[in-house]
Amino acid sequence: MAARKLRARTRRQIQRGVAALAVLLFLVAIVVVAVLDHRVTKQFEGRRWTLPARVYAQPIELYVGQALSAKRAAEEIERLGYLAQARADRPGTYWRRGDRIGVFLRAFRFSDEMQAARALDIRFEGGSIVSLHDARGADVPVIRLDPLLIGSIFPIHGEDRIVVSPAQVPPLLPEALKAVEDRKFETHHGVNPLAILRALFVNVRAGQVEQGGSTLTQQLVKSYFLDSRRTLGRKAEEAVMAVILESRFGKADIMNAYINEIYLGQDGQRAIHGFGLASQFYFGKPLAELDLPEIALMVAIVRGPSYYDPRRHPDRALARRNLVLRVLAERSVVSEADAERAASRPLGVAKAGQKSAVFFPAFLDLVRRQLRTDYEEEDLTEAGLVVFSTLDPLLQEKAEDALESELDRQDASGRKVAHGLEGVMVVTTPQTGEVVAIVGGRHASFDGFNRALDAKRPIGSLAKPLVYLSALETGRYTPATIVHDQPVTIKLPNGQTWKPANYDREIRGDMPAVRALTQSLNLPTVNLGLEVGLPRVARTFVQLGLAEEPAAYPSMLLGATNLSPYEVAQMYNTLANGGFRSALRAVRTVMAESGKQLKAPQLEVAEAAPADAVYVLDRMLVEVMERGTGRPARRTLPPGLVVAGKTGTSNDYRDSWFAGFSGAHLIVVWMGHDDNSQTGLTGTTGALVAWSRLMSSITTSSFEPLMPESLENRWIDYYSGLETSPSCDGAAVNLPFRVGTVLPANEACPPGIEDPVAVDPAAALPGDAAATAQPAP
Amino acid sequence: MSRPLAAVLFIALAASGCALNPFHTGQPASSSGHGGAHTQPGSAPVLGSPPVIGPPAPGEEPVIAATPTPLPRDRPRAPAATLGLASKALVAQAETQRKKGDLPGATATLERALRIEPNNPLLWIEVGRLRMDQRNYAQAEGMGRKALSMSVGDDRTQAQAWQLIADSFRARGKNTQAQEAADRSRSLSPQ
Repeated sequence: MAARKLRARTRRQIQRGVAALAVLLFLVAIVVVAVLDHRVTKQFEGRRWTLPARVYAQPIELYVGQALSAKRAAEEIERLGYLAQARADRPGTYWRRGDRIGVFLRAFRFSDEMQAARALDIRFEGGSIVSLHDARGADVPVIRLDPLLIGSIFPIHGEDRIVVSPAQVPPLLPEALKAVEDRKFETHHGVNPLAILRALFVNVRAGQVEQGGSTLTQQLVKSYFLDSRRTLGRKAEEAVMAVILESRFGKADIMNAYINEIYLGQDGQRAIHGFGLASQFYFGKPLAELDLPEIALMVAIVRGPSYYDPRRHPDRALARRNLVLRVLAERSVVSEADAERAASRPLGVAKAGQKSAVFFPAFLDLVRRQLRTDYEEEDLTEAGLVVFSTLDPLLQEKAEDALESELDRQDASGRKVAHGLEGVMVVTTPQTGEVVAIVGGRHASFDGFNRALDAKRPIGSLAKPLVYLSALETGRYTPATIVHDQPVTIKLPNGQTWKPANYDREIRGDMPAVRALTQSLNLPTVNLGLEVGLPRVARTFVQLGLAEEPAAYPSMLLGATNLSPYEVAQMYNTLANGGFRSALRAVRTVMAESGKQLKAPQLEVAEAAPADAVYVLDRMLVEVMERGTGRPARRTLPPGLVVAGKTGTSNDYRDSWFAGFSGAHLIVVWMGHDDNSQTGLTGTTGALVAWSRLMSSITTSSFEPLMPESLENRWIDYYSGLETSPSCDGAAVNLPFRVGTVLPANEACPPGIEDPVAVDPAAALPGDAAATAQPAP
Repeated sequence: MSRPLAAVLFIALAASGCALNPFHTGQPASSSGHGGAHTQPGSAPVLGSPPVIGPPAPGEEPVIAATPTPLPRDRPRAPAATLGLASKALVAQAETQRKKGDLPGATATLERALRIEPNNPLLWIEVGRLRMDQRNYAQAEGMGRKALSMSVGDDRTQAQAWQLIADSFRARGKNTQAQEAADRSRSLSPQ
């Protein structure tokens, strides 16, 4: 009796315990669901993907008179992922017939205007545009191609994406996703138990489309909220969250989130998320323009972005794509005929060179650094900014080629010291101070140390023009001023003595300044610099755009100062720009996601040095190219193209520099070893070769600035500096002088009465055989 | 008083280059207008700023190229600069944006033109005018000086550039330099 009572009590206690436990579990479950609900709802409603800033190259402007051949225009259009068709009947298509191109431009939102989609008819003749019409035959004065997307500023190991709205998604994509990944998407409540069972069964049987069993909603939840660990607990959590998501949001919202969220590939440290970016990444064009085989490939990749990587495993990707096509036909999403035709098409994945992204690491690094003055790192990696940069993709490509082929040539030279050299190229457009290309090393796509910005090396003779400019600025010197090629010994403050020598250890005595600079002689430059004063020369560095004055040691006159190629480009840009300093820019404008234009560095122009002094110096730098250390470039350069520049070689041939400009481009080249060992190269035998290779492969113009009115051209003897007649011998050189400058005459061949007016300094040159100097450091 | 004033206004407007400068046509209230009012010949110097040219007052930045040198008139004169078709369209578009108060947009549009014709001084003057609107007077001067260097021998364009420089000085209260620049502009203006 008592025992029965006891049993009954025990049972009641157990029942109560179970009930209590059930209540407790229920409460816990409620709390868990509530917490998950809060998390899901809050994050999903905010729908704030972290959007890395997108960086675009400069757009190509089309206008009558532009120097652009039909061939190159077609290449540029192709690079933007436009599809060649018989007729350009929708945005993103074009045709070319000989010297005529029809293109249907995509709509594009620039920072200054929304450019609508528009059909254009372009005619070319003799390598430039001769007419530009719209579809109705109306003249179009000027219009931009949409710019090339060159990359994003994403956090290390970060996600990158381009968010698309439902209107930008081809209708076939969601249909295909449903057919292949989640047939019951429209009706299920987040999970599909049947699918899970079938997945188990099918996976065992294999052969068919391998079913994952996860609904699109579950996949979204997993990618959006959870890490990738696969445990039973995670699975349950994922299922609960999927149900919550479905109960709170509509199918259309969930599909749109899926399309923007899902992981679709890896690009180095950059994770490619969402179909918007994946379309650019794999096909180099907007999602809206994908056709059936391309969409099928994207759907194929969803299942395993690394396993089905169409670049690394094209066979697998192709098989899977065709499987997807078959499923689409089976489920009547597309017709059998369309699916078959699509299955016969190649993968069509953009070549590596076209796939934008990490191919401009040195340039993108500069963009990031320049933006960091106005923006926080999070603004750049999360706020969805759109950055319009100054990069010229074609020029960048040519710069990479020019540098690489020169480095290869050095490798093949058989000289041990020249093997495995590294190099840098910085290209600017001097008038606007825009950085149009940066090559940061032999492997332009290697995202490592940014030599262009951070490798500081002695600039050697690149410093000499600054010494001569400092002298010219005083108003007491001219190109004909006699300088002294005489030994000099300087006692340094630390008790040591400094005894510089010329590159060939020769002493030539007195000579005009122009010859000393042209032949890059050390002793006359040191003597001149000491005469002018070290502080004054140090100031010139800053005038031209260096942030800080270099230490004013005498060795500064011969370029002992360590500078990066970018710093050199900033200083020489001022020389190429007639003495006007424009802070170099890699960014033109920045736009918020909303389309509003935001803060960005502006185009600036400041008169940094007297225009007449810079003009005289620049004309002497033209002589460097005509008869001095830059002369070998003439073998490559187009005849008649006037350029100016200066070689630089550091001690023991460790660094080979060349900085020089045409009327439209400044190119700075550095070559050397990362460990600072000897290269055996001078500026002439290394950097100049790469420089002239690039300068002769681009569309540029002669360096022919207008001569200031305070100056006039005179003929002087290159060896004596005496005023002479151009007809005497091969040594007369035409240079600018202040009006009224008194020049002693060359009695052997006095200046004639009828001086020919030399407009083009290059064309005015006499025979150069006698005057050509040996290449020197 | 009214007749000389009218004459001065005419000269000032000519100096601002109405014919060449669609950007400022029909905008007598633009900065070039008051520049003219201060440079009235024969009127009393404004607030004691002497019309003579001297070294810059202490505290003022040194003027690099403002020292007037007698212009060698026997030099070949260059034809007046003109805008290409593309630039013309862009300058007009920039003006529309400017009127709407969209100065960043106008700047971006003018810079497009500058990239097409970087050696056209008229475009640098246009950018300088925009910098005036943006109250970035030092940069307005920079643009004016750049335009000067690209218009050697082109009196008409040089007159416009000097007027821009004069306006930028005046906006910064540098009346002496403003006066001198305005004088140079007037001396170059086609009569």
